Amino acid sequence: MSHRRAARADILGRAAVAGRVVLAAGGGYGIAALATALLSLTLPLPRSEAVTAATLLSVAVMVGVVVAVFAARSLLRALVGVGAAGLVLGGALWLVAGAIPPGPAA
Amino acid sequence: MRNGLRQSMAWLHTWSGLVVGWVLFAVFLTGTASYYKPEISRWMQPELRREASLGPDVLARAADLAVAHLQAHAAGARTWFITLPQPDRPLLELFWRTRPGTPPGRAVLDPRTGEPAALRETKGGEFLYRFHFELNLPPLWGRWIVGGCAMIMLVALVSGVVTHRRIFADFFTLRRDKSAQRGWLDAHNVTGVLALPFHLMITYTGVVTLALMYMPWGVTAAYRGDAQAYFAETGQITQPRPPAGRPGTLAPVGPMVRQAAATIPGPLERLTVANPRDANATVVAVFEEPHGLSHEHPQVAFDGATGAVVEVRQGGLRPAAKTFTTMVGLHEAHFAGAALRVLFFLCGLMGTAMVATGLVLWTVARLPRSGQAPGPGWRLVHGLNVGTVAGLPAAVAAYFLANRLLPPDLAGRAEWEVWAFFSTWLATTLAAFLPPPRQAWSGALVLAAALYLAVPVADVLTAAAAWDDPAWFLGFDAAIIALAACLAIIARKVARYEAPRRARRDAAGRPAPGAPPAAPEPALHAAPGPRGEGADARLGRA
Amino acid sequence: MNAGALLLNLGLSFLGLGALCLSLARHHGAVLRSSPRPARVLALRAAGWSLIGLSLAAAIRLEGGSFGPVQWLGSLVGAGLVLIAALSYRPRALPWMLLLAAAASLAAPALAMSRPAF
Repeated sequence: MSHRRAARADILGRAAVAGRVVLAAGGGYGIAALATALLSLTLPLPRSEAVTAATLLSVAVMVGVVVAVFAARSLLRALVGVGAAGLVLGGALWLVAGAIPPGPAA
Repeated sequence: MRNGLRQSMAWLHTWSGLVVGWVLFAVFLTGTASYYKPEISRWMQPELRREASLGPDVLARAADLAVAHLQAHAAGARTWFITLPQPDRPLLELFWRTRPGTPPGRAVLDPRTGEPAALRETKGGEFLYRFHFELNLPPLWGRWIVGGCAMIMLVALVSGVVTHRRIFADFFTLRRDKSAQRGWLDAHNVTGVLALPFHLMITYTGVVTLALMYMPWGVTAAYRGDAQAYFAETGQITQPRPPAGRPGTLAPVGPMVRQAAATIPGPLERLTVANPRDANATVVAVFEEPHGLSHEHPQVAFDGATGAVVEVRQGGLRPAAKTFTTMVGLHEAHFAGAALRVLFFLCGLMGTAMVATGLVLWTVARLPRSGQAPGPGWRLVHGLNVGTVAGLPAAVAAYFLANRLLPPDLAGRAEWEVWAFFSTWLATTLAAFLPPPRQAWSGALVLAAALYLAVPVADVLTAAAAWDDPAWFLGFDAAIIALAACLAIIARKVARYEAPRRARRDAAGRPAPGAPPAAPEPALHAAPGPRGEGADARLGRA
Repeated sequence: MNAGALLLNLGLSFLGLGALCLSLARHHGAVLRSSPRPARVLALRAAGWSLIGLSLAAAIRLEGGSFGPVQWLGSLVGAGLVLIAALSYRPRALPWMLLLAAAASLAAPALAMSRPAF
């Protein structure tokens, strides 16, 4: 019986690690993308400067999220952290984007 | 939970490094070679005769010839790219895109006659340079793969620093007399830590160079996706002018070239002709980067139909844009003089060695107990290691060798040279799976050394008549011989290596008495152990 | 490209890294066959960091604020490589190499000042 329990724990463990990988990659990119868009719209700089600064920082943001996901004590904590950051950034972006009057399209 | 963090970071470092290690080795190797791209290109076209200087008259005439050729052969293209002749490369290089899905058009012409240049057709150093960020794949695929691997490299760098227990105490340590694993770990640490600022810089700036492709969301949010408008606003390019939709004729570009040369000091590098058959055609003269870290090109834009100056772009970048161009400039290191370029090259070699020692360390740390056969996973990693770490340098040597051995007037010889590169790489990788590990390593390294040794021989035998400066070509050949010697020395060390006290260690499964204590990074040993210990347990917590 | 400036950087970086290296007991023992006393460790570390800082200052002074730090970092890598090679293969030769580096560092400013920076 304990043999089966050990095998099941092993599969769950591997699944958790795989989960971290997916969360790190997807969540990391997602958070960085949201942060880039948000900073591009909110930084108190000329428009092109804001986009440049935000894009330069996005690399560090993504790396930071990936490392944090693997440093977290459990997959659940990592998920909560990434999810919360995503919600905050997404919400802020939605607010800011809504406040901008539509301009000429590309 | 400090111990737990270090374990997690060690796990992350090991696996992120392995998964992208082979691609990264290729990126580092070809990138390091690209520091000498102009020299490689010159060596691969020995027939090219350099000139002392090229005045505006020569450039103007060359530009007219280029436009004439393009009007005859590339009438349908939306944009023409003309690389103007330079003193050390007096060639007209034309490039244009036709329809999506069809390969772009190219031509290399003599700048004085407009006829195709009488040189052996080759991609030269440009092949290695483009491979460095595109892997010879369709550009979008290649750049995404390299970018993804570079991001994971950053993760590996950060986790490597976090997990390195005694980063200062071990800074200078290279133990060659202890266990193999200790030695490889030291080599990996030394090459990683000694040039750590370089590795961090080169990886970060590498991603940044293509950041607008990977992370376009700032442009999407603030410019509704109009990337051209963004670039123009940063001051890096002239304002793009949309086509008018009415046909028009292009004014002679010769006078435009003269006027551009009079407006901005410094060498004129290329011309870009946008919408050449439209009434709103634009001709942009792009100049070489002025001396400095920042990668920016002064530009003069002309109205194509009238030849009048529309815009002059020179300097004046704001802080964030300047930071961006400085990062790109640091990555490309165009500013580096001869001595500094050697140092950059050394740093690149160390980065390549860091990746290689990491890959080898992975297999050494997971060697099976003596008497047991290695599992399929280990054999796969080992085979790929040999195929990449020894096979890729061998492939570069084969590329050079093919350049000398293929007849200069063979049709499609440029593609054949590239074929030589890939087939050597593939053959070495496949062959690496057959012999026992040590033989595979020394055999592949000997092959690489032999190929490099063959290159100067082939050069002297087939191309010595074409050299314009024998001392220069012999110097290049001497560098190749030095590479061959290094590979031969490494091959010899691998073949003769005696593992100290391995037998006692294997039998007990524990370090022999008197041997150094277990390595400080437990996760590296944990691989074949029972499940649930070390980093796997901590990361496996859902 | 100023050869004298680069030589100065390489020399000072080598001296600085060498001092830091000797402040570690393992390397001090390999080179000088003795263990360093705490006072010496402190003196070597202070000297080491000061020389590295001096190398940076010289680089900025001679090559400007943007090229200087780049050249300084490059010189640290180059000097570090030579140092580690010496430590691994010929540790007893290190004191002589440090003397050579000191001589080069003293001679280099003359070379650097004699022609204008690039």
